[in-house]
Amino acid sequence: MRAEELKGHLDAVLLAALEDGPRHGYAVIESLRQNTGGRLDLPTGTIYPALRRLEQAGLITGSWSVVGGRRRREYRLTAAGTRALTGKRADWLDFSAMVSAALEGRPCPSPV
Amino acid sequence: MSEPRLISSYLAVLAAQLPAPIVEELADGLTETHRSYLQQGLAPDLAAESAVAEFGEPQAIVAEFARVNPARRAARRLLGIGPVVGACWAAALITDRAGTWPVPLAARILVGVALITIIALLAAAALSTRYRLAARAGVAGCIGIASLDAALITGVTFASAPMTWVMAGAMVASTARIAFAARSLVPALAR
Repeated sequence: MRAEELKGHLDAVLLAALEDGPRHGYAVIESLRQNTGGRLDLPTGTIYPALRRLEQAGLITGSWSVVGGRRRREYRLTAAGTRALTGKRADWLDFSAMVSAALEGRPCPSPV
Repeated sequence: MSEPRLISSYLAVLAAQLPAPIVEELADGLTETHRSYLQQGLAPDLAAESAVAEFGEPQAIVAEFARVNPARRAARRLLGIGPVVGACWAAALITDRAGTWPVPLAARILVGVALITIIALLAAAALSTRYRLAARAGVAGCIGIASLDAALITGVTFASAPMTWVMAGAMVASTARIAFAARSLVPALAR
């Protein structure tokens, strides 16, 4: 999947990658890659500004550590981020069920 | 192991345009990406090429960081509320017949030039894809608009103009904008 196709869902995907615990930028990318079987084709460098944006929105929080002599920034979900992820996940399930129903010509299930 | 020249050059391009903490974070990610390719068995130079290609064009990264710059967001919001505050002042000055006040022409011109300069700074911050330009113009625009609002409030107070409800409303709008600009400066200056 290309970055353009993911537009609008990147925040949810990044929040989900942090759901299991704190991760630094590269670990977030690795997690996305593993969870999607390598099908997410995002320019890695653009993940970092997106993480900053989520941090400014208060959905994640970043902290510095030193690993192997290099400074590393790790991110974790905030309570607001966890709530946002729950909402975005529900929205996506509704949306994908609706589009699937439309594409397959079958009745749309009621929203959860 | 020393850093391949390709990675050093790539980071140097970013370092020329982005603040040090952001470059440090990107350097960590790029080093990890390079290491991952080495572990897959690629030669060091090819691993460096692959890591840099995976990261994307430096200008695209700089532009993305410019978009999420707090100063740019503040500039966009100030441009959005500008017409509302401006309309409040226009109504107040027309109602109070400010044209008849004994204000020197030079002072009127100075306010006009300052306003145009501030709008230009905020527009540059709101539209620029260059991080440092967006950050500096945004901070200057925030300080400028807060100073202009403060000068307007002070000027009207000392001019002993009749305090109508419309004038009071304009002063409240300017005070709110000063507070917003001041609050926006904290994250903008922290980065």
